[in-house]
Amino acid sequence: MFKQFYLFELKYRLRRPATWFYALVIFAIAFLLISTGSTPATEKVHHNSAIILAEAMIILSIFGSLISSAIMGVPVYRDVEHKSQYFLFAYPVNEKQYLLGRYFGSLTILLIVPIAGMLGLWLGTLLGPAFDWAEANRYGENVLGNYFIPFLVFSVVNYVFTGTLFFALVAITRKAMSAYVGSILFLIAYLISGVFMQDLDTREIAAFFDPFGLNVISLETRYFTPFEINASPLPLTKNLLFNRLFWLGLSVIFLVLTVYKFSFKSFFVINQKKAKKAEQNIPPDLSVLSRILKKNYSFSNRFNTTIQLAKIEFLSVIRDRYFLSMILGGGIFLFIDGWFGNQVYGVPDLPATFNMIMVKDFNYTIFVWVILLFYTGEVVHRNRSLNFAGIFDALPVPNWMNYISKFLGIALVAFLLCALVIVSGVSVQLLKGFTDIDFAMYFTDLFLIEFPEYLQIVMLAFFVHVLVNSKFTGHFVGIGIWILMWGIRSFGEVDYNLFFYGYMPGYILSDMNGFGHFFQPIFWFNIYWLAVGALLLCIGYLFWIRGVEEGFKKRVSQAKAQLKPIIAGGMIALLLVSIGAGGYIYYNISVLNKYVSSKTSEKIAANYEKAFKKYEKKLQPKYTAVKLYTDIFPEERKIISQFITRVQNKHKVAIDTLYFNLPKKGMRIIWNAKQLKPSFVGDDVSSPNEAHFTKMPLPEPLQPGKFASLIIYDTTQVNGFGNRDINPRLTYNGTFMDLIPPSFGYEVNNELESDNDRKKQGLPPKDYDLPVYTDEVGRSTFVFNKSAELVSFEAVVSTSAEQIAIAPGYLQKQWKKGERAYFHYKVDEPIDLFYSVVSAKYAIAKDKVTLPDGRIIPIEIYYHPQHKYNLSRFIKGTQDALVYNSKNFSPYQFNQIRVLEFPRYLGFAQSFPNTVPYSESFAWLGDFSNPNDYDYAYYVTAHEMGHQWWGHQLVPNMTRGSNLLSESLAEYSAIMVAEHTYGKDNLRKFLKEDLDRYLRGRAMEAKKENVFIDCNRPYQWYQKGSLILYALRDYIGEDTLNAALKKFITEWGNKSVAPYAGSHDLYAYIEAATPKDLKYFVEETWKKITLYDNKVITATAKKLADNKFEVVLKLNSRKFYADSAGAEVEGKYYNDQIDIGIFGEDKVDAKGHKTTHPLYFKKHVVNKSGEIVITAQVNELPKKAGIDPYNKLIDRVSDDNLQPVVMD
Amino acid sequence: MILEIKNLSKTYSNGVKALNDINLSIGKGMFGLLGPNGAGKSSLMRTIATLQNADAGTITFDGIDVQQKPQALREVLGYLPQEFGVYPRISAEMLLDHLAALKGIDNKKERKELVEAMLQRVNLFKVRSKYLSTYSGGMKQRFGIAQALIGNPKLIIVDEPTAGLDPAERNRFYNLLSELGENTVVILSTHIVEDVSTLCSDMAVICLGEVMEHGHPLEVVKKMEGKAWRKTVSRNEVEQYRNEFRVIASHLRAGKILLHIYAETDPGNGFERISPNLEDAYFSTISSKVDLVTI
Repeated sequence: MFKQFYLFELKYRLRRPATWFYALVIFAIAFLLISTGSTPATEKVHHNSAIILAEAMIILSIFGSLISSAIMGVPVYRDVEHKSQYFLFAYPVNEKQYLLGRYFGSLTILLIVPIAGMLGLWLGTLLGPAFDWAEANRYGENVLGNYFIPFLVFSVVNYVFTGTLFFALVAITRKAMSAYVGSILFLIAYLISGVFMQDLDTREIAAFFDPFGLNVISLETRYFTPFEINASPLPLTKNLLFNRLFWLGLSVIFLVLTVYKFSFKSFFVINQKKAKKAEQNIPPDLSVLSRILKKNYSFSNRFNTTIQLAKIEFLSVIRDRYFLSMILGGGIFLFIDGWFGNQVYGVPDLPATFNMIMVKDFNYTIFVWVILLFYTGEVVHRNRSLNFAGIFDALPVPNWMNYISKFLGIALVAFLLCALVIVSGVSVQLLKGFTDIDFAMYFTDLFLIEFPEYLQIVMLAFFVHVLVNSKFTGHFVGIGIWILMWGIRSFGEVDYNLFFYGYMPGYILSDMNGFGHFFQPIFWFNIYWLAVGALLLCIGYLFWIRGVEEGFKKRVSQAKAQLKPIIAGGMIALLLVSIGAGGYIYYNISVLNKYVSSKTSEKIAANYEKAFKKYEKKLQPKYTAVKLYTDIFPEERKIISQFITRVQNKHKVAIDTLYFNLPKKGMRIIWNAKQLKPSFVGDDVSSPNEAHFTKMPLPEPLQPGKFASLIIYDTTQVNGFGNRDINPRLTYNGTFMDLIPPSFGYEVNNELESDNDRKKQGLPPKDYDLPVYTDEVGRSTFVFNKSAELVSFEAVVSTSAEQIAIAPGYLQKQWKKGERAYFHYKVDEPIDLFYSVVSAKYAIAKDKVTLPDGRIIPIEIYYHPQHKYNLSRFIKGTQDALVYNSKNFSPYQFNQIRVLEFPRYLGFAQSFPNTVPYSESFAWLGDFSNPNDYDYAYYVTAHEMGHQWWGHQLVPNMTRGSNLLSESLAEYSAIMVAEHTYGKDNLRKFLKEDLDRYLRGRAMEAKKENVFIDCNRPYQWYQKGSLILYALRDYIGEDTLNAALKKFITEWGNKSVAPYAGSHDLYAYIEAATPKDLKYFVEETWKKITLYDNKVITATAKKLADNKFEVVLKLNSRKFYADSAGAEVEGKYYNDQIDIGIFGEDKVDAKGHKTTHPLYFKKHVVNKSGEIVITAQVNELPKKAGIDPYNKLIDRVSDDNLQPVVMD
Repeated sequence: MILEIKNLSKTYSNGVKALNDINLSIGKGMFGLLGPNGAGKSSLMRTIATLQNADAGTITFDGIDVQQKPQALREVLGYLPQEFGVYPRISAEMLLDHLAALKGIDNKKERKELVEAMLQRVNLFKVRSKYLSTYSGGMKQRFGIAQALIGNPKLIIVDEPTAGLDPAERNRFYNLLSELGENTVVILSTHIVEDVSTLCSDMAVICLGEVMEHGHPLEVVKKMEGKAWRKTVSRNEVEQYRNEFRVIASHLRAGKILLHIYAETDPGNGFERISPNLEDAYFSTISSKVDLVTI
């Protein structure tokens, strides 16, 4: 009997086109994914390595869960739908065999889908390189096991799990819909579990409970270098196998449960609900039936009826229990996302209104899409799917009433979805006691921006459903259109919003600048797309089916008949509106501004390099003095500047030509009172940042050592709007501009970085940006600006009257003229030519700090008036860092320090001479109420203060690795400042995050990893730098290291004559300060890529007399050296000193910080790799013990360094 | 008040000729439409009810050109389709009230009275506040009847309205219908020939999209007078008789078969003449078009 059901299911399904359709879809996606090189692989990783194939199969199976629900949801339900249930019920059929037959039959069919996917992947690896859709060297040898093992471990398990889940859902709930809704909710829940992956503490759990295994594989392979990924088969680690077996086991449980619960009776027999008590009724008067009643078909009556109909549509949607479950789910996630919000170093932000609004684009947006697309289909097809159309369509209700009411009904649902964001946001704010609620921002965003966007989604879906006239196909086409548009944008690299329905430039909300300049483009795009959407609705109206469905030809002729003058007129009007709005948008994007797709911008960069690389070595003068006159017109987004400068020829030969990177053509440039004429302008070949490479012959050559005056006039203005935000630095409130005179000579920074992109553009691969440390030109050039060394600087800045403008230096004078405010700043010491000018409406917090040399330095924090929450942290960070650095390194070079807030459009802080601009998105609204949280407001301020020394006193030269002089040393000094204030334990989370980021950084490395001394990536100079300097401090002591740094900055800092310092110069000081037995550590961290794998094997303890404990630790240590591709060889031990610690219960100190409680802590000498056994006595109950427990060393698996102690 | 159908033809996109040059003139009172499955009854009724357009021909009702001015017809139409569904999570009273409002009855109080009275007439008053999804098949059918009859329609089209009704409900319905039929045009399609003979003053038989017979039921029967014969035969003889005579009906009687045949003159062979009823007339009409196998 089982066999009968099984075979029937197979034969039935094999003949269904849907089966093959599903397989084809997955085949095609798989094929495209790999043949176009769109897998998650980074640049050096093979698309067909086992891990990447596994990830591709997992991603396919995640989306395949929709197919899973479609295939596994129907086999049992089919008998209900086709009403064949009663036959079955009556036959002598064993229900378990029936159920299992259907289950296994469908499951067999389901597995065709991932097999098709696997074939698609395989074919993709062959055809992709053959047709040159992706580079041939991105594909390794095809290994059979790389396909079959991931297929079995991931594809099969995932499809079995989702399939069984949906099968069970339908068999138990008796509703086909539950499988669909289940699959959607499941997918959403899955995406949300990704949130927990972001936190180091919860990600192991998140990985374990990931039903698809994507998180577990990314966790297990997160530190794999490209080399290892290419070489490794699928790593079947313990975690991974546990995860797989868990979900497979759960599938079996579901199946057993279903078989156990399922019976024909309960499944097929309709529940008879208990009848309500019959109402006691007085029979009504029947005479009304024989009266002729008045009928009213007036417009006002029809209008009211339309509203009534819309209400019924709306109620039908919101009373639907699946809608309720979705909106409940959406609301919950909205609330959770709002509650936990954006976290930086695990610290949440305060629930400011813009934060509450932003969360609508997190998980909630998936719910919105599903609800809008799905229920638009429901509304359009409601009468027909309820089979009520036969009655309804014969009623004297004109089509327009029905049509409009349906649209209104679903529009009301969209409105509800918008309102929910406000309800949830305000609840979070009130519950957290945050009362600074900006209702105007809520209403503007949700009802003027978001609601129209939702309507656009509805309009398209409505149109598609009417035209296609089938719910299933309608959903398919409707979703397909969005996927297609997304695909073209991401893979076709075209993103001209005007051509992609519903798309518009993204926008960022800011407290400082409100909707700012974003409102205008959004407004026009909304008008445009609403008009286009309404036009679609009109076309849909013409094709609206009333009564019996007819062939397409008939529908076209009916549509023609429906095209009455009033509709035609309306359509023409809408067409005019959309052409008008579209034309205006086009004028802004393509006439006032220039549209550059990412493809084009690659080409521009390549052309720049091809045309101008030859001028790279041309000797150019350097600026020595800059006087800036600039007028900022924030309301016009306009800046007019005049740079009055002096330049000097610092070379040994005369200079007869200037090579300029000018921001625009036709700028006025005066050389020694003569206007310079360009001999050519890079007309077609502008650089990616729009600079025009310009050659300007000088009237007479500039002799060696001689000076000249150079005056440059520049006007910058943002006209209208672009396809993307054009200039986030020039805004109504919060200008943040680098107003530096144009640079001389060829800009290496403009070159294409990615070797893939370079190859596409016919350029050779590029190994390094900067020259080797001995390079003479590099050593006599500053890394931040090659066109100047130290310069004297002065600025006169004007802005609108209510704003304050700030430039580096001290305020000399401040005055008002008309509606303008003027500020004159001047530095008394030369600075490097690296600064910005800021202007905004500010509140100012003032404080001061007394330095060790007795000077009192005033501190000013310029902040947005609402952002008053963490000012004390900025001030304290400033004070502590200035004191620490002055005491340990060298005196602070300025007499004042300022921190300035700028809008959230850019998310970083930057340190300029006595001036630190600091993004609105960072720390101003951090919620530091938990004392154990990492005070990154304080820390980052201290880091930026560190740059006043490391970066500004000591300006790195332009050689390989020199960036570490500014970033790693600023990190080090900030860590020290934070450690003195908050204690070592508070830093642990930060250091652990640094370790994780470094290891992930090198795993994602697209080219090759340099050794630290030649560092060329942020993950090296920030994360690795802070880790190895912190460990070095631990080995040689804070005083020793600081003394070396002091010597270094004294001898190399504040220099005005080349050579300038590079990484090897610093290394010499550090090496000299390191005792002999630790030199191995410096060498291994700076000149090698060294990785430890330390771990605890067992930690046991037994109680001795008088409350003492003997602890026995079995540990293991290994060390590896990696090459630049990530291939590892066993490392050598040089009597390495490694921490061994035993800890008691954690304690809480006076400030409420949690601290560890070491009972035993010592450095042990380890002289070979392998097992280490240590016995120690402690005086308290040991809780945890481990090797390198604070993760000072770079350890590939840091979590196993510390383990609980087991009592014997 | 007269419904005039002239030269009405309709071919579906799959090639099925549903209506083939139909001409009918239907006056006040009950009009019965008989025909086998797939004869085109529903197509004809849907076309009259403005749910589909004909390829050719005209329909006029009380001066309204139905195909040109469907809206005008809908204002006086009551239609019950053969199969229909309802909004599940809404009570009968609410939905009927809603439908009455859509039919243009805008006075709320009047509408409420009307809805209650109509529900009483179809015997649903007591269960009026229950969700329609809890209704049995018969109850749902009665609801369908109520919605068709509400709002003083002048043209009532009911497609197999008694399907699923028990005999008592069927009688109730016919009473209601014939009451209304005095002042309106009622078109009723059914499989039950007897219903037509008892209820209708006018009828038509259609088969394969064509009108085979049209007139008062008694006239239709009269045409058969003297041409209907019967004989009881054994089961294995049936095939032979089928070949020799024009068999119009066969019934089981005590293990044997009672054959009715059509013959202009006495066929002999032991056949006896019977006084024909409408069923004989109906079967004899359609047997010229389709092959009848009633056993």
